[in-house]
Amino acid sequence: MVRRLLSVVAMALVVVIVAHGAVPAAADDYPSRPVTIIAPFPPGGVADLTARPVAAALEKIMKTPVGVVNKTGAAGAVGMQSVAVSKPDGYTLLLALSSISIIPEADKLFGRPPAFTVDQFAPIALISADPTILVVRTESPWKTAKEFIDDAKKRPGQISYSSSGIYGTLHMAMELLSHAAGIKMRHIPTAGAGPAMNAILGGHVDALASGPSVVIPQIKAGKLRALAGWGTQRVAALPDVPAFKELGYPDAEFYIWAGLFAPKGTPEPVLAKLRTSMREVVNDPGFKSAMEKLETPIAFKQGDEFQKFFDADAKRLAEGVKRVGKVEEKK
Amino acid sequence: MLETIQNLALGFSVALSPAVLMYAFIGCVVGTLVGVLPGVGPLAGISLLLPATFGLNATNAIVMLAGIYYGAMYGGSTTAILMRIPGEAASVMSCIDGYAMARKGRAGPALAIAAVGSYIAGTISVVALMFLAPPLAEFALRFGPPEYFALLLLGLLVLAYMSGGSMVKALAMAAFGLTLGMVGIDQMTGYFRFAYGVVELGDGIGVVPVAVGLFGVAEILATAGQATPPSIMKPKLRELLPSRAEWRDSAAPIGRGTVLGFLIGIVPGSAHIISSFVSYAVERRMSKKPQEFGKGAVAGLAGPESANNAATSGAFVPMLALGVPSGPIPAVMLAAMMVHGVAPGPMLIKQQPELFWGFIASMYVGNVVLLILNLPLVGLFVNVLRVPYPLLYPAILAFSVLGVYAVNGSVVDVWIMLVMGALGYLLRKLDFETAPVVLGVVLAPMIEMALRQSLAMSDGQYAIFITRPISATLLCVGAVLVLLALRPLVTKTLDWRARLALAEKGEN
Amino acid sequence: MTIDRVGGGALVLFAVYTLWEARKLPMGNVQNPGPAYAPTLLALLLLVFAVVIVALGAGSSRIATVGWSEWRHAVAIIAVCIFMALSLERLGYRITVVVALMLLIGLLERRSIVTTALFSVGFSAATFYLFATVLRVPLPRGPWGF
Repeated sequence: MVRRLLSVVAMALVVVIVAHGAVPAAADDYPSRPVTIIAPFPPGGVADLTARPVAAALEKIMKTPVGVVNKTGAAGAVGMQSVAVSKPDGYTLLLALSSISIIPEADKLFGRPPAFTVDQFAPIALISADPTILVVRTESPWKTAKEFIDDAKKRPGQISYSSSGIYGTLHMAMELLSHAAGIKMRHIPTAGAGPAMNAILGGHVDALASGPSVVIPQIKAGKLRALAGWGTQRVAALPDVPAFKELGYPDAEFYIWAGLFAPKGTPEPVLAKLRTSMREVVNDPGFKSAMEKLETPIAFKQGDEFQKFFDADAKRLAEGVKRVGKVEEKK
Repeated sequence: MLETIQNLALGFSVALSPAVLMYAFIGCVVGTLVGVLPGVGPLAGISLLLPATFGLNATNAIVMLAGIYYGAMYGGSTTAILMRIPGEAASVMSCIDGYAMARKGRAGPALAIAAVGSYIAGTISVVALMFLAPPLAEFALRFGPPEYFALLLLGLLVLAYMSGGSMVKALAMAAFGLTLGMVGIDQMTGYFRFAYGVVELGDGIGVVPVAVGLFGVAEILATAGQATPPSIMKPKLRELLPSRAEWRDSAAPIGRGTVLGFLIGIVPGSAHIISSFVSYAVERRMSKKPQEFGKGAVAGLAGPESANNAATSGAFVPMLALGVPSGPIPAVMLAAMMVHGVAPGPMLIKQQPELFWGFIASMYVGNVVLLILNLPLVGLFVNVLRVPYPLLYPAILAFSVLGVYAVNGSVVDVWIMLVMGALGYLLRKLDFETAPVVLGVVLAPMIEMALRQSLAMSDGQYAIFITRPISATLLCVGAVLVLLALRPLVTKTLDWRARLALAEKGEN
Repeated sequence: MTIDRVGGGALVLFAVYTLWEARKLPMGNVQNPGPAYAPTLLALLLLVFAVVIVALGAGSSRIATVGWSEWRHAVAIIAVCIFMALSLERLGYRITVVVALMLLIGLLERRSIVTTALFSVGFSAATFYLFATVLRVPLPRGPWGF
């Protein structure tokens, strides 16, 4: 028995030692081994669909394999946390969406230890930023955003909307509008952007705020009507739909954005290399056509510009989360 | 009608072109491979392999993904039958009677019946999809939270018919599963329930690790240490095909499973998972020999297998007709279409008829390819049972860890599987059934969400459940089921369970 | 003691524990159920069933009649699984599986060294090649890129 145990352990040791042969490479000749981009949402989601073409283009430009790993769970918190605590060597990157600024705020609201905080990340580049669009069913009485808001004022808490989940991006967009316009609506959270769309198409709720790529096919098919958008400008694909800003609600500004991050503490030369590579990525024809197919215009920002955008967005959302508060306490 | 046939001809001209046919075939093979991994069902299979299709053109990619989906669907039942490891939640019911058949030496027939049942269900539901998609999709959209709640409640009631042993023990197990399903972020308020600081529990306890643990790992724990290991089976060629009696017993369940599965499948949400549970309960209720269920009843395999295949095809109805994902699998397929520049939505059928009808036709072709691929494979797969158990079970364990890990890339899922394995082992010893636990874990978050969404819609008025026609109808059916279950108490006639118990007492 | 009494008793404890833990969360009310509402309701349901099982459990088979002959084996297998869960992301898939299979086949099942080595290394390499390399399923690698 003992001899048997020894021989098995010895065999295991041999395996481990042989495996040890490959020594980790030094950090200054970045990138010298495969890079992993973590997409904190399941395949087929916005984060995943943006990460894939980014990875493909980065692979060509940095001449090293770049893979995408979907680390999902807890509305993205699992994947984001895993990057926040990963080794800051530039070999683990994060493709995050707007919710990166919401999750720590929600954690704070409930007094639980935050899974991560936004300052654990070093922004590399903003890739896209789509304003949400307010849609209602075609047969609904509201023809313009003004009619909608006026009616909501008359009947507080009567008009309902679906969202991708409490404190989710689609919820926050509506919350910012409610605050800006001084209205109160009834919130029906669902399990994601898809179910939220089902809820409005099936007539179970009255309104929805969602991304252009999701609502445009339904608008074209005559099922939904767009009333207004949350951007500073109109959306190119919907030139007739005004922005809330034009209508006198400057605080109703919201984007579903996607950006690339590294863990804080990544060496500056590595970040610089990643930033210049990302500049090339957004000009890569393959990447451009991939984003076109997703109907997601590229909105490239990096360095200070991205940081400023990121900070302003995080501040808006933090205030939004605080205003929503805990649902239970309000009733 | 005529137009549909013309369109279908166009579709077949696309689907039968050599390149498309080849990708359908590759998809089926790859899907079968992935599906054989415990835990990695069609959803995880398609998700994991989606990136591999990015280099192809749209039609090829979609056809290949459809093939992966069908392949994985089938592969899942293979492991369920041979090793009692559910490939996914929907194969849990196949673990019971399918595995019992395999242990009786009828592994070949079980695999063949599962293959043929899946083929028939798949093909019939594609026909239904083709002719009925637009009206059915409109109907499906009317399923809002109240209707969904009523449907899920109905799914829960079938438990009364599902259990083989003591009903109160089965109900307790279901309640236990439902309670486990409460772990995770409450989607209505954002509270983190019973998570104890583990972020990975935010989405709750996954059904895959629970199913693989309670069935697969528990089976290994209970079997590996037996003084006499399970005998090595050497199936003979003529035992590979089902006997005439087995075909006869499976025909009606396949038909019923198909209809039931398709109808449940078109409802948006993840209701398709309950289709196999409901089918199992229906078959047991209809059967003349309900006491055989759990001991290798052919109907208990054929019904649920057909139902889960039909259900996931049914799930494509809202996706193709309206461009809205009705569940996780269509959501991934929609994403695949977007990647290839196909705008999913109601206009798809007009703008890109070759793709739409090619996809439909490829679903026929995929089903045929799988049948051709899998019937000979039955002979190959049953050879797994020839491997001596001391070598087989370590491999199964490693496969389980690999499969459960791969779904989310999460070690927490592996831990859950382990705990559930140990728990399943103990429950077996104490003579508790484990299938109701899986059903509970699946249903709990959905049913709670539907209830609270409904109340949010109605501002706390429970009347919403009876003023809406669909939910009122479903609740009435549920009430009738409860009354039927209570009837023996009133009329004092013994049902088969009581008779069985009496008979057993007499023997002792 | 009968099996039903033991099983039912364990479920009673679980239900009571759940009820206790749920008290930390807001309850809400019937019109507007809070996060603790459904868990409390379900735990109460479980409690009722479990109590019934205990109450009616006198007639079920006695706990002593349950065979536990394989418990050592089961514990050993669980131990190997714990090792796999601990080392999967630390040592990587291939090393973990090789070591786990060696422990199970070589130590627990007493197969010859050659069988053990061939089977574990072969299985690990083959499955990694098939799933990670060919099908691109992301499997963890160890600190040595292996």
